[in-house]
Amino acid sequence: MTFDLLFSAVVFGFSVSGILFLVSIGISIGFGLMRIINMEQMVYYTFGAYVTYTIMSTTGSFALALVASILVAAGLGFLVETLLLRRVYGRELMFTMVVTFSVFLIGIGIIQYAWGLEPKPVSSPFHTLISIFGVKMPLYRILVIAIAIAVFIGIQLMLNKTIIGKAIRAGIDNPAQVQGLGINIYRIFTFTFVIASGLAGLGGALNAPLTMTGPYMGFDMLLFAFITVILGGLGSIKGTLVSALILGQVMSVGGTIWAPLSFVAPFVVMFCVILIKPNGLFGVEAKAFGFE
Amino acid sequence: MNKTFKGIAGPLLLVFLLVVARFVFPNKMTFIIELAIFSIYVMGNNILYGYLGMVSFGQPFYLGVGAYASAIYLAHIGTNPIIALGVALMMGVVIGLIFGPVFIRLRGDYFALINAALCAIGLFTVEKLLLPITRGDDGLWYRSRMAEIPFLDIRAPENFFYFAIFVLFIALVLYRFMDRSVMGVSFRAIKINERKMKFLGYNTFGIRWIGFILSCVLSSLAGSLYAINFGFVNPSLVEPGRAAEVLVATLIGGAGTVYGPFFGTLAFLGIKDLVSKFISRWELVVGILTLIVLFKFSKGIWGGLESWSENWTGGRRRKLSPALSTEKPSQANIK
Repeated sequence: MTFDLLFSAVVFGFSVSGILFLVSIGISIGFGLMRIINMEQMVYYTFGAYVTYTIMSTTGSFALALVASILVAAGLGFLVETLLLRRVYGRELMFTMVVTFSVFLIGIGIIQYAWGLEPKPVSSPFHTLISIFGVKMPLYRILVIAIAIAVFIGIQLMLNKTIIGKAIRAGIDNPAQVQGLGINIYRIFTFTFVIASGLAGLGGALNAPLTMTGPYMGFDMLLFAFITVILGGLGSIKGTLVSALILGQVMSVGGTIWAPLSFVAPFVVMFCVILIKPNGLFGVEAKAFGFE
Repeated sequence: MNKTFKGIAGPLLLVFLLVVARFVFPNKMTFIIELAIFSIYVMGNNILYGYLGMVSFGQPFYLGVGAYASAIYLAHIGTNPIIALGVALMMGVVIGLIFGPVFIRLRGDYFALINAALCAIGLFTVEKLLLPITRGDDGLWYRSRMAEIPFLDIRAPENFFYFAIFVLFIALVLYRFMDRSVMGVSFRAIKINERKMKFLGYNTFGIRWIGFILSCVLSSLAGSLYAINFGFVNPSLVEPGRAAEVLVATLIGGAGTVYGPFFGTLAFLGIKDLVSKFISRWELVVGILTLIVLFKFSKGIWGGLESWSENWTGGRRRKLSPALSTEKPSQANIK
């Protein structure tokens, strides 16, 4: 394998990592804070991609599409959280899993009605190639990496510097204690959920030009997002980042060596890691709910 | 009325009704065959979800193991469908023995997802890795190679109907026996409080393992029946996305009951049949239906009927202690 090929595979891998990080952070925080497994994050991802398609094909502005898809996804997340998931907190994990999975199926059904069954192509917003170390790279991939890094720094700042971020971190450790301090934990749940779904929408918007936008795009991404979260350990943001970085490289470099590997290699990696470390790389122990 | 007769009366009635239905609605025969096969598949998932409380998002893998074991035997090695069925059952046991000890020590959510991963690896295996043997996406065809067997030529659909019904009958009788045995009760007890079971001196690992193997065997039995019925298999059987179907059918019917899987399958396939006449895709309906069942009828069709008849007869029916018969496990189970 030549240096050019390997280098471009690594950069592609980082852009894949960025998208994986954006879509799986919601699942990870949702488990850590609310002790639910929210499989319906992928609905926001799919909606983000479709909103991008609609706005790109009508106005042609990618920045507008990004903002709109974040807003639509966050709004949907708000609706689902306040109307449905409120009733689910405190139930056993399996129950939350099946409930959110059926929300996911409903979301797919709505998308089929709104946009039809056939996949929609989204053209890349810029076709510029830039040259790094003499290797030509699409500027768009670099942009995806930059946005993912910015989001990661933003989340870290929010969690460590703001009071609400500190409340979220305390909630991950012990929700009952936070509630005992007079903080409305349910408001924090809603806030976190809206941010997480907005990020999933952003991930979908960024991924739309890279893949085909179809009603079932969420299914594939659901599997990969869950591999990311499981590999890193449910509930750990650092773990999600590390495993997104690993999986992006595995998919991209593996796919360069033999194309089918890009699909199956992540599963094999997860399989092996789980057999050795059943809680993932940085997993937190799921504790009793302690409230409700 | 002796005990043995009581054990087979329910399954016998069910099977009799199916045979009646086949003659009342002659053009619905394929539907009834699918109903019988899918019920066995759902019964396998019901052991995991209903009795042991473990959700698996990779049941299509175990279905595919049975289907491909039979298909590969029929296409490359032998010609006898009954031996193909035996091969599939053997493979189910082997898969359960191999993956069981590794999987069941995982926590519930990891168990669900490692099954999904296994399912994706299985899809990859039959689609790409074993391409010369399974012919990948083209599917494996072997209908013409199947030999006639004595008594009943199951190559013809109307004869296969009786065969499938007979297998369903045997499966239901054994399933009912399992439900009433000490094993069935220990399964439920593990679902409610595994720590207490351990404290009482039960080997919960072993009990879970047996449950896992039983589930694998039932799923591969269903897969093998599919393979023999259609005369060909293709990788769409193993798609991870189809894991939802079997979960939904289990939930609708009533998790953790003997006849729940059958009624769940009947409702699920019936709704699918009806809905697909009006709209081409049925995800929306399945999703809404599951939510309604989860929040309003958490016992499912059969569970609801059972508790209704208990009220009606004043609880004269033999039933387990209240703690065991309730569907919702206690909070203490969540570690």
